[in-house]
Amino acid sequence: MTAWFCPEVLLVLSGVGLILVDALAPHGLRKGVSLLALGLSISLLGWTLWSSGQPLPESWKNLFLADGIAVVFKPFFVLCLVGVSLVSIRYKLGTEEGVRAEFMALPFFATAGLCLLAGARDFLAIFVALELVSISLYLLAAFHRTKPASLEAGMKLLVMGGLSTGFLVMGIAWLYAASGTTEFSRILLQQAGKPASPALLLAAGLILTGLGFKIAAVPFHAWAPDVYEGAPMPTTTFLAVASKAAGFVLLIRIFGLGALALESVAEVFRPILLTMGIATITLGTLAALPQRNLKRLLAYSGIAHAGYMLLALGTLGEAGMGTVIGYLWAYLLATLPVLIFLNEVERIHQSSDVRHLDGLGRRDPGVALGVTLCFLSMAGLPPLLGFSAKLSVLTTLWSAGEIPGLIVGSIMAVIGLGFYLVPIRAMYWEREADVIPAVRFPSFLVWVVLLAGFLNLILGLQPKPIIRLVESSLAPSLVASPKPNP
Amino acid sequence: MNMTWLLPAMLVIPLIGTGLIALGAPARKTALIVSLLNLVPGFLLSGVVLRTGEILFGPQSIQAREVFPVQFSLGLDGLSLPMVWLTLSVTLAAMGVAREGIKREKEYFICLLLVGLGGLGAFLSVDLFYFFSFHEVALIPSFLLIGIWGQGDRTGAAWRMTLYLMFGSLVLLVGLIGLVMAVPEMARTLDWRVLTGYLKVNPLAPGIQTPLAALLLVGFGTLISLFPFHSWAPGGYASAPAPAAMLHAGVLKKFGLYGLIRLALPLTPLGWKEISWLTGLMLAANLLYLGLAALQQRDFRWLLGFSSVMHMGTVFLGLIGGTLLGLSGAVVLMVGHGLSAALGFAVAGEIGQRAGTTWMQDLGGLGKKAPKLWFYLTVAAMASIGLPGLANFAGEILIFFGSWSAHPLWVGVAAWGVVLSSIAMLRAVRSMAFGPTSRTVDASGLTDFKGFNETWPYAFLTFLLLVVGIVPGVVLGPIRPVLERLFLP
Repeated sequence: MTAWFCPEVLLVLSGVGLILVDALAPHGLRKGVSLLALGLSISLLGWTLWSSGQPLPESWKNLFLADGIAVVFKPFFVLCLVGVSLVSIRYKLGTEEGVRAEFMALPFFATAGLCLLAGARDFLAIFVALELVSISLYLLAAFHRTKPASLEAGMKLLVMGGLSTGFLVMGIAWLYAASGTTEFSRILLQQAGKPASPALLLAAGLILTGLGFKIAAVPFHAWAPDVYEGAPMPTTTFLAVASKAAGFVLLIRIFGLGALALESVAEVFRPILLTMGIATITLGTLAALPQRNLKRLLAYSGIAHAGYMLLALGTLGEAGMGTVIGYLWAYLLATLPVLIFLNEVERIHQSSDVRHLDGLGRRDPGVALGVTLCFLSMAGLPPLLGFSAKLSVLTTLWSAGEIPGLIVGSIMAVIGLGFYLVPIRAMYWEREADVIPAVRFPSFLVWVVLLAGFLNLILGLQPKPIIRLVESSLAPSLVASPKPNP
Repeated sequence: MNMTWLLPAMLVIPLIGTGLIALGAPARKTALIVSLLNLVPGFLLSGVVLRTGEILFGPQSIQAREVFPVQFSLGLDGLSLPMVWLTLSVTLAAMGVAREGIKREKEYFICLLLVGLGGLGAFLSVDLFYFFSFHEVALIPSFLLIGIWGQGDRTGAAWRMTLYLMFGSLVLLVGLIGLVMAVPEMARTLDWRVLTGYLKVNPLAPGIQTPLAALLLVGFGTLISLFPFHSWAPGGYASAPAPAAMLHAGVLKKFGLYGLIRLALPLTPLGWKEISWLTGLMLAANLLYLGLAALQQRDFRWLLGFSSVMHMGTVFLGLIGGTLLGLSGAVVLMVGHGLSAALGFAVAGEIGQRAGTTWMQDLGGLGKKAPKLWFYLTVAAMASIGLPGLANFAGEILIFFGSWSAHPLWVGVAAWGVVLSSIAMLRAVRSMAFGPTSRTVDASGLTDFKGFNETWPYAFLTFLLLVVGIVPGVVLGPIRPVLERLFLP
């Protein structure tokens, strides 16, 4: 396949195309730029799925590879893009309506970066791709130039993102100093069997810190709730799902299967990762309990989910990696529909307070059922998909003998139900608030949310497809892949 | 004829019912028809099970070497048969007791059907994943049933019950994970039939059995509201609308006991021996502490809640007695308790609706005003005390005989439990049924049951109580081979 037809390239071209259409097309056509973006994202999803088995272009092979993880996560990120486009279409930009094309196009660039990340085999590629993602997101977070909340979100993301990038670069530099290369398999080859040098451990610590910000793990989580709340809804969607997943893909690549999957590093970092995981679950769950703003609630719930994934990752075995990958898919399928729904709530009520959901179960039973299923899936209740995800985390922890993580994870799953039931309670239990005009949700969104809810149910009852996905993603891991020409 | 497809049909029928109700079919009628219709596969499958011992549906792998070997397989044998019948009967009665014209009728009946479906699915599942999952299906509908249609402190009761049950479920889940992971990888499976067979030949190491037994005790113990994990139950039942309390106390609570008989006890026998001092203390506390608490209740619903919880102690005694006699008694008492608790909560709900209160001191003279209501009230009370001729007696006597050799002390305690429960129940019946007609009853214009339509659920449950009480063989017969297979070497 020539380089021109890789999803990454097409994503960038689509983004550029959207801006050009907006700039050059006659005024009448500009209205359609949102729909064009959605159409492009959906067709790119199809293309990514179809082309996923294709080999990479020759010129990319030094920096990228097309292993199982790349094949599984490129569609993941493009699916996120579809969700983000869906949210963007229904998002009111207010004074920024004139630059809607850029608002629609920036997620394309960010997604291109994410897809590059999914297949990166070299720290240089990782850094460049990550910056492509981050810079697009800074712009998107602060898109409402006149709204203080949005500016605050953008500023926080910029400062925190800059800090995390700094850590990451420092880590890469130390890694280069320790091993003389930035390519994963060569680092692995060079360091295997040796005791870990202090420089290598420092590098690993710095890289973990940098990525800790991306996944919003304790103690690097503090930015998430404010940014989620202040940023425009599509940006929140992107941060909550795609950005977090990217952090985990990198953690898997670096600590789990790739560059630093060394026994000497694991010895030091297994307890660190597990401790981070326990702290992250605990803080995320407990801080979510008093939240009544659904965006903040989702932010903390996302932190808690990151904790579960960190626990599974912290076992640093292949089973743990598979668990994280499955968990990410379950997280995506439950979180994305909720965010799409929340965007609609915010559009109607100008806020995402949970009381806007009062009586929704009677007003709009379809959408309420879909959202309920998604929330319950996040809570990890059987027979929904989220349960299988949590089950595999617990199983991984049991077989790795990590009893503290197992205990904390179980207890927090119980407490977690306490806040996931808050919106459900509002929808079915509370009286309908009579101040709100009976605004209906657009029917195609009702269907999207409802179908997504049932998808959680069906995949929960029959998790085979996700299991296959996980198996295929782990199939040819980096360690086993052929070495590049030196 | 191949009748295996009737197993999933039993789950699909209520599901179709919920779908129809959601789409606008008349809610109560649909729920009733669906519950009635579900008796048909029940009957047919009973025939097969009584003739051949068991019937299975779905993939029957011996071993699955997968990361996550879940398989949707269902099965019915002599032990699950009484449980399935209990579920079917109580569900039918609950639909009969649930009245039309309640607020948000659609959701109400959907939630009820889902609770019944959860119980049924759990009893029919052969795969541990589905065994566990189906039970959890009932969790959220119960939360909504208590929260929306409950009475008293419904919010607190709903939250307490849901979080407690979730806690129990997760401890149970960890226990089940441990159980499965303790099996060497080559033989690892989620199919409890295969698991039981394997562990019978290759028992687990004693060192792992104790923690597993403890985890399963806490997990299942929370679900069956064993002391000290009981505090969700009395309040939850007292606040729940009558049909929900019937389904929960009558059916779902039996899930924990069923799990203990099916999995925990036969698979980790040495562990249970190790912690028998603890289980003994727990059951004694269950019987005496909760019995005394029941004595203090002034509200009939709360009294029923406490007495229902305390009887779990007696069942538990049968389980840890370690003899087939005691175990059989436990199963009979499970059925009897399920029926009598359902009848009790149904009557309490009826009284609450007709008289406007369930405070016992306000309800004097009920017997004169409403003789039929009084009759069923007395049946429920007598069954719960353990009057010979009703199902509970058969169970209790078998449990006492069966457990005497191993735990004479706890049998003595359990006898005192019977005394306490008798005092509580008899006092309740006296203050409600006899004496001069109270002002509340007079003012409420209390009426008796009228016609077949209102009476049949009560008559149906009473009939079943009598059948099992007089001919306990209907339960003892089918369960015997299964218990022998599980517990005899």
